[in-house]
Amino acid sequence: MASSSSLSLSLPFQFRFRRNNTHTLRNFTRVTASTTDIPLLQVNDLRAKIVESNVEILRGVNLTVNRGEVHAIMGKNGSGKSTFAKVLVGHPDYEVTGGSVVFKGENLLEMEPEERALEGLFMSFQSPVAIPGVSNDQFLVMAYNARRKKLGLPELGPLECFSYLMEKLQLVNMKPDFLNRNVNEGFSGGERKRNEILQLAVLGADLAILDEIDSGLDVDALRDVASAVSRILTPENSLLMITHYRRILDLLKPTHVHVMDNGKIARTGDITMVEAIEADGYETVSALT
Amino acid sequence: MSGIALTPAAYNPVIPSSSCSLKYQKSFRVKTRVSLNNAISISSDPFVLELAEALEDSVATPKTLQKLRQSSSHSLLSTPWPSRKDEPFRFTDLSILRSSQILPAKTPTITDAHITVPPDSQFPCHVTIIDGHFVNSMSNVTEIPDGVYVGSLSNLDPTVADRVSELVSGFDGGDLFWSINGMGAPDLTVVYVPEGCRVVQSPIHLSYLSSQGSKEGSNDLIVSNPRVLVVVEKGGEVDIIEEFSNVEGNENECYWSNAALEVVIGEGGKVRHSYIQTQSSLSAHIKWTSVRQESSSTYELTEVSAGGKLGRHNLHIKQLGPDTVTELSTLHLSVGNQTQDLHSSLVLDHPRGYSRQLHKCIVAHSQGQAVFDGNVKVNRYAQQTDAGQLTRSLLLEPRATVNVKPNLQIIADDVKCSHGAAISDLEQSQLLYFQARGIDSETARRVLIFAFGGEVIDKFPYSSIRDRVRSQIKSLLDPSPK
Ligand SMILES: Nc1ncnc2c1ncn2[C@@H]1O[C@H](COP(=O)(O)OP(=O)(O)OP(=O)(O)O)[C@@H](O)[C@H]1O
Ligand SMILES: [Mg+2]
Repeated sequence: MASSSSLSLSLPFQFRFRRNNTHTLRNFTRVTASTTDIPLLQVNDLRAKIVESNVEILRGVNLTVNRGEVHAIMGKNGSGKSTFAKVLVGHPDYEVTGGSVVFKGENLLEMEPEERALEGLFMSFQSPVAIPGVSNDQFLVMAYNARRKKLGLPELGPLECFSYLMEKLQLVNMKPDFLNRNVNEGFSGGERKRNEILQLAVLGADLAILDEIDSGLDVDALRDVASAVSRILTPENSLLMITHYRRILDLLKPTHVHVMDNGKIARTGDITMVEAIEADGYETVSALT
Repeated sequence: MSGIALTPAAYNPVIPSSSCSLKYQKSFRVKTRVSLNNAISISSDPFVLELAEALEDSVATPKTLQKLRQSSSHSLLSTPWPSRKDEPFRFTDLSILRSSQILPAKTPTITDAHITVPPDSQFPCHVTIIDGHFVNSMSNVTEIPDGVYVGSLSNLDPTVADRVSELVSGFDGGDLFWSINGMGAPDLTVVYVPEGCRVVQSPIHLSYLSSQGSKEGSNDLIVSNPRVLVVVEKGGEVDIIEEFSNVEGNENECYWSNAALEVVIGEGGKVRHSYIQTQSSLSAHIKWTSVRQESSSTYELTEVSAGGKLGRHNLHIKQLGPDTVTELSTLHLSVGNQTQDLHSSLVLDHPRGYSRQLHKCIVAHSQGQAVFDGNVKVNRYAQQTDAGQLTRSLLLEPRATVNVKPNLQIIADDVKCSHGAAISDLEQSQLLYFQARGIDSETARRVLIFAFGGEVIDKFPYSSIRDRVRSQIKSLLDPSPK
C-alpha cells in the first residue's frame, strides 16, 4: 500500500534522463535486463523496540521500494525515521518485535549487519561515529576488500586500491588528505556527511539509505553530495533518503514521498506533498490519510 | 649490638642449614652499618633479612657504589615485605616473589653461546646490560658526540664521576624494591650528557637481558638488579630507549628483573624516553623510574608493557623549577594470566608547569589484571599549571579485572586541570559502523582493540620501534591470525 507499482515502473526513465549527460550506455542495457518483479525491499508491519528500555518505537511500518526508485521519508523529530533506518541495517540497540523485511528476496532480519551490507544495503548515518586510531584509507580498503571478497574477487593491497580511492574522492570533491585522517575524528559536520558518501561511492549499493545527508551542509556541499549521489545511482539501484528539507528533494527528485509519524508511515505521495508539508506542517498532512 | 638478636637463620626454614653460619656472619656485617645510623626499627621479616644477606653476598661492592649500597641496605632492613594491606600493593599480588627462594644472578659469562646480540641493534649507539652488568663487548658507543659518556660508572673520568656520584640515589621516595636494587646492583650504567650538548642524531638504545632463569615450577627465582643513571646537564638533550626482553631460549623461564632508572634533567634540558617491556610470561618485572626535572626542562615517556607474569612500573617525577614539560603515555597489556601495574606520581611544585598523562590498559584474559594508581599533585606554588590526566581501560573478557585510581590533587588555585577515567568493552556503535560497511565483527574487534593501543604506540619517536612494537602487540592480541 505504500507505493504503487505503476509509479515505480515510471522511474527508470527519470534516471536515464538525468544520467544521460553523465554516464555510459552500459547502464542503459542493464535496465532492461534487471527489471524484475520482486521488489528490492519489502517491509511489512515492522515493529521494533529499544532493547534497553523496552520502549516501542516502530509500530507497524510498511514500505515497498522497487529497483530504480527514489524514496524520501520526512516527518517530525522523534517520529522514528532514524530508528527505521538503523533497524534495517541491524543496529543492536533495537529489537524487532514483529513484521518482516525482505531484501532482494531474502529475509533481511536474519542476517548479521555485515551480511546486510555485503548484500547491498548501505546506510549513511545521521551522526557517523568517530573511530580514533583507524585511518580513513585503512577503513575504506578493509570495507572494499570485504566487498570484493563477497564478489569472489581477489583482495587488494592499499597501494592497489589507491587510484580507485582517488577517483572516488574526486567524485565527492574531497581532498586526498582525508584518507590519512582517522575515520570521522575531528571532522566537521559537513565533512562527516561527505565521508559517508565517499564510502557509498567506494562500496556501491543496491539500496542506499541516506539519513539526513543534507543536514549541516552548506549550499556547495549539498550540490556536491547530490551530484555524487546521482552519479553513483544506476537505474538498477534505489535510494531512500530521510530529510527535513526540500532542497535535496529538488536535486534528487524522489518518486515517492512518505511521512512518518509515531513509528508508522502515515502518508505516501509524490513530491507535490512536500509543498503541503511546508505550507501546513506535518500534523495536517499526516491527518489527511 | 641489638641487631644480633634478630638473626634471621633461626626463623627461616628456607635457609639450608649448612650455610647458616656463613649467613650469620654476613648478616652481622650488614647490621653493623645499620646500627651506626640510629635505632630504627629493623624489619623482623626473615624473608627480607635473608634476601638482604643474599644480595650482600652476591657481588663485591665496587667502591663507587658503596654509598648507595649502604643507604639501600639501611632502608631495606627497615622495610617489611609489602602486604596487600599496604595501599601501594593493595591490588598487586607479589606471591610469585614471596613464595620463591630468591637468588641473586651471578656475573654472566658473556662467551655463553646462548647469549646472542640483541635483535635490535639498528641504532648506532646501543648498550647491552645483561643481568645488571654493562657488557662492553656487546655495546657500541663510538658514535656519540665528544663529552658524552655511555658506560659503566667504574670507567668514568674521575671529575665527571664525582658529579655523577652526587646524583646517584638522590631520590628518597623509593620502596622496598628500590632498596633491593640499590643493594643488589652490581654496576651502574651511566649516560652523561654535558651542558649544551644535544645528542639528537641517534637515540641511546639500552637493551636489558636476563640470561639466568629457572624452569617453570622451580622454587628458585633469580633476581638481577640493573641500574642506570641518565644525567643531562643544562641545555642538553638525549633520547633513550629502554628495552627489556629475553635472551634466546629464555622466553619460557622464570626470573625476576628488578631494574631502576634515575633521570636527572638540568635546566632547559630534554629527555625522550621510550620503554618497552616484553619479558617472559613467567617472569617478574619490577621497574623504578625516578625523574628529577629542573626548570624549563622536558621529559617525555612512551611505554608499552606486555610481558611478565607480574609487571610493575613505579614512575616518580619531581619538578625542581618552573616551566617544566612532562608528557607520559603508557600502554599496558594483559593477554594472559598476568598483572600489569603502573604506579605513577608526578609532583608539581613550581609555576607554569605543563603535564599530560595518558594511561591505557587492555586486559584480554579472564585471569588478567591491570592496576593503575596515578597521582598528580599540583602544590600551592604551582600556579598556572596545566595538568591533564586520562586513563582508559579496555576489558575484553568476562572476568578480566582492572583497578584504576587516577588522582589529581590540586592545591594551587590558578590552574587548568583535566582528568578522566573510562573503563569499557569496545564501543557498540563503533563495531556497528564497521559491520555496516561489510566488515565482520571479529575483524572489527581486532582493529578497534589495536587502534586503542595504537594511540600510545604512535608516540614512540622512531618508526622502527613503532613498527616492531605494533607487530609484537598484534601477535599478542591475535596469536593465530587466519
Ligand atoms: N537508542 C535509543 N535510546 C533511547 N531512545 C531512543 C534510541 N533510539 C531512538 N530513541 C528514541 O526514539 C524516538 C525516535 O528517534 P529517531 O532517532 O528514530 O527519530 P527521528 O525521526 O530520526 O528524529 P530526527 O528527525 O530528530 O532525526 C525518539 O524519541 C528517540 O529519543
Ligand atoms: Mg533522525
